[in-house]
Amino acid sequence: MKLYIGGAYQGQDELAARENPGAEIIQNFHEKVRTAILKGEDPKEFARGICLEKPDAVIVANEVGAGIVPMEASERAFREAVGRALCVIAQASDAVVRVVCGIGARIK
Amino acid sequence: MTALITGGSGCGKSTYAEKLVTRLPQEKRVYIATMRVYDEESVRRVARHRAQRADKGFVTLECPMDLSSTQIEPGSTVLLEDIPNLLANEMFDGGSPERILPAICDLTKKCAHLIIVTNDVFCDGVIYPESTQTYIEKLAELNRRIAGLADYAAEVVYSIPVTLKGNAPCE
Repeated sequence: MKLYIGGAYQGQDELAARENPGAEIIQNFHEKVRTAILKGEDPKEFARGICLEKPDAVIVANEVGAGIVPMEASERAFREAVGRALCVIAQASDAVVRVVCGIGARIK
Repeated sequence: MTALITGGSGCGKSTYAEKLVTRLPQEKRVYIATMRVYDEESVRRVARHRAQRADKGFVTLECPMDLSSTQIEPGSTVLLEDIPNLLANEMFDGGSPERILPAICDLTKKCAHLIIVTNDVFCDGVIYPESTQTYIEKLAELNRRIAGLADYAAEVVYSIPVTLKGNAPCE
């Protein structure tokens, strides 16, 4: 498993596709976490499920946790859930690449 | 040794900070808790952090403001969590934000090891009302000052520590 992360529109999706031809790429993983928690799923369990079902997948996500804590409880829960889920994915990944301005830095 | 640990929401900062502490000698471990508990969400957060720390031998001190009032035995290993809560309490609850940094400087002299957790709240591009903007600016300044005096600083990115300064202790 590999993980590509970055702020909005930093090119993590393109870089993941370019560096992993033929691999199954799961784009916008943060939005999948949003859908999962709206259905009442635990974000870590959701992430563990992905790790078990798709151990060779490449996961691409936005970093969403580095702002002022939102007033809206559901937005707070979303940011935290993305963090928890991505910690699980990062631990299960052989490589984690953080993308800024389209340039990847491998942090794991 | 003084360490500063930063990162976004839910990225595993606390877990990593506790891991650092558990690699240091197991004596006089103190956890300074700064969050005011006022609703169900904060009760859950405290419960989760307490469960994480349960078997690590910490004495917990509650200190929502006036950090200098904490009684720390010299030579202790202290985990201070966290600067954003401490600053918010000092700013919006009738305290004095200016006393945070001197109190931290005193702690660095008193403690064998001081691990400080802060937060990255600087990257959402939103312009907030003035009081929040002032809060962001003061938090950023505290983070810079603390990083300046720290031996080790790291950003935790989804459980992975990325070194900003120095070397991780005991690796």
